[in-house]
Amino acid sequence: MLTCTRKLALLGTLVLSLIASGCSSPSSTAGESASGSGADGKIELKILHKWPQPEYAPYFEEVVKEFESQNPSIKIKIEAVADEPMKDKLRVIMGGGSVPDIMFSWSGEFARKFVRSGAAMDLTEALNADPEWKNSFIPASLQPFVSDGKNYGVPLRFNGKFFVYNKEIFDKYQLQKPKTWGEFLQLLDKLKQAGETPIVLGNASPWAAIHYLTGLNQKLVPGDVRMKDYNPSSGEFTDPGYIKALEYLKELNDKGYFNDNINSSSHDMATQMFFAGKGAMMYLELEEFQEAQKNMQAPFDFFPLPSIPEGKGNQNYITGAPDGFIVSSKTEHPKEAIAFLKFLTSKQNAEKLVKSIGWPSPIVGATNPDTAMKQVAEAVDMMKSAEGMAEWLDTDVHAKVADAYLSNIQLLLDGTKSPEDVMKEVQAVAQEVKQEVKQ
Amino acid sequence: MMLKSSFSNARSALPFIIPALLLIVLFVFLPIVFNLYYSMFRWSAFDMNGEFVGLDYYTKLFRDPVFYIALKNNSLYAVISLLFQVGGGLVIAAILEEKIIRRWQPFFRTVFFMPAVISISVVGLMWQLLYNPDIGLINGALKAIGHNDWARSWLGDSKTAIYAVVAVSQWQYTGYMTMLFLIAMHKIPGELYEAAMMDGASRIRTFFHITIPQLKEMILVGSMITVIGAFKVFDEVYVMTFGGPGRSTEVLGTMLYRAAFRNDEMGYASSIGTVIFAITLLLSLLQMRISKTGREV
Repeated sequence: MLTCTRKLALLGTLVLSLIASGCSSPSSTAGESASGSGADGKIELKILHKWPQPEYAPYFEEVVKEFESQNPSIKIKIEAVADEPMKDKLRVIMGGGSVPDIMFSWSGEFARKFVRSGAAMDLTEALNADPEWKNSFIPASLQPFVSDGKNYGVPLRFNGKFFVYNKEIFDKYQLQKPKTWGEFLQLLDKLKQAGETPIVLGNASPWAAIHYLTGLNQKLVPGDVRMKDYNPSSGEFTDPGYIKALEYLKELNDKGYFNDNINSSSHDMATQMFFAGKGAMMYLELEEFQEAQKNMQAPFDFFPLPSIPEGKGNQNYITGAPDGFIVSSKTEHPKEAIAFLKFLTSKQNAEKLVKSIGWPSPIVGATNPDTAMKQVAEAVDMMKSAEGMAEWLDTDVHAKVADAYLSNIQLLLDGTKSPEDVMKEVQAVAQEVKQEVKQ
Repeated sequence: MMLKSSFSNARSALPFIIPALLLIVLFVFLPIVFNLYYSMFRWSAFDMNGEFVGLDYYTKLFRDPVFYIALKNNSLYAVISLLFQVGGGLVIAAILEEKIIRRWQPFFRTVFFMPAVISISVVGLMWQLLYNPDIGLINGALKAIGHNDWARSWLGDSKTAIYAVVAVSQWQYTGYMTMLFLIAMHKIPGELYEAAMMDGASRIRTFFHITIPQLKEMILVGSMITVIGAFKVFDEVYVMTFGGPGRSTEVLGTMLYRAAFRNDEMGYASSIGTVIFAITLLLSLLQMRISKTGREV
């Protein structure tokens, strides 16, 4: 009897220790696999970015290779996921054991949420310690990564949103770039009458339509009211401008200025259609200009979202924002991580970024006529002369408010919900968020 | 005496049970309990310092209109899957067992089973293309047979999207069920059919009076797998529509995912998880009950 219990106890402890070792070993080595020293004595840094596409990924691989050859003691592991999955991925890994040392992040509220929870490292000191590095950034690109006066992110590129148009189609009907919303509607009407698809939109992932709304909200709602609403702790969204913005967007759809089946076409598919010449214009990001250059048969030009004279917001704003990298507060190698970021944003690499993949760099002087495509350089000039930027609505407001907008915008466009319905829901969510943040 | 021996038997069985029991407790029961506990806190994946909210998330859930959309969609999934996978699978299996077709059975079996082994991401992307309103095969076929008015934006229309997604699951898993039924059918003694034939029973009659009663257990198990699967469905919806357009194809699984990894509401996600657990637990208990009565008969 006794032996039996003893055996039992032995077995129990054996099993327990097995389980315990099975459980504890990953957590104790998690730090190592994430950012510890490898077997060969090298420091390993993990970096996560959002450009797995074959046209962009090689740039990062090259930069990393160069950095490694200059710093033989550091080894860098790259991981990349696409735009939409990135929003989930960051949240999942932040909660897990092996957080990458350097992570992509959008600026604005998206980054601020990691700052609030202490997951992002404060980079103010590192930037201040190297004034040359700090001053190499255009100030407007650092600002959106600032929270409570502290820097939390290093911008990699500037991104903006513009209507890119097919010059052949515009020339055929002798159309000019519209300056105001009224001119824009007239132009769309002419195109529609002529049997063209005026605007191509792929809204299967609803951020595409949200980008329209980003600019419309900014132009129609007074700036201070909008900033107060976009702040999770004081958001109300009661200004009539928000409903107007949805109405403006809905009007484009109701009048048939978009292609059919917008909610089931993906952005990529829509882009291919537009590049192939089906459709007069498309609302594209600056990062897509080089793709347009490569793949469009017709020449193209662009214009920003037209100004709305009756709008209460500043009309001299451009839709867009910088995005870049944050450093995990859990990293074991902050020095090395910052060294890599410095290398990535050096003038030489910034120029390479502009030249090889066509993205506008936030480094002073890197985006110039020598390095950049003509249209990209022009767009950057336009952004420099703008009085401010309207940051992406889906990453600039609290995640839950963004979700209310994202899931309702498809229903607005297929006619299921009215602008008032949508705003009522957004208001309710904003109220909920306000209470949660305050508590 | 009798009692004592069985008692010592149980004693000696314990060492064999305990390792498995410990593992199950650690990896199955504890997480369930923790999930229940975590559903009473407000926290996010990257911020574990939660604040106690009690049962707030449950009241919120039962007031959330999306929850009812999800429940409806899951039930729709269950009913349609029962009809096609279990009902349809059974009929297909019976047809494949027919003497005339039996020669080619391995071929058909492979063809029908093939979809079940393809990764869901691939299946989702493929069907997205098939459903595409402009270049997709489905609208193309409808137009080719002259039904232009039937063509629509399958996944982009909030009225048809859920049916389009459910249909893909039927395409994928009916063959799997057919396979299970075929295996069970091979175990039915051939004499039963021979005797019935001699008595002059028709094929349809033998199907209802021999095949179905003999497959009773399999049908029950199959039904339960499909129904429980329908309440746990996630990937099909995630890949094809992610709950959209709007919230029209939201199921409990995607609702949970959205709460956890989009809206940073892990507590809310935990409460949805608890509800999914309660539903599947109920269905499992139901299954155990029904299958027990089945054995007694």
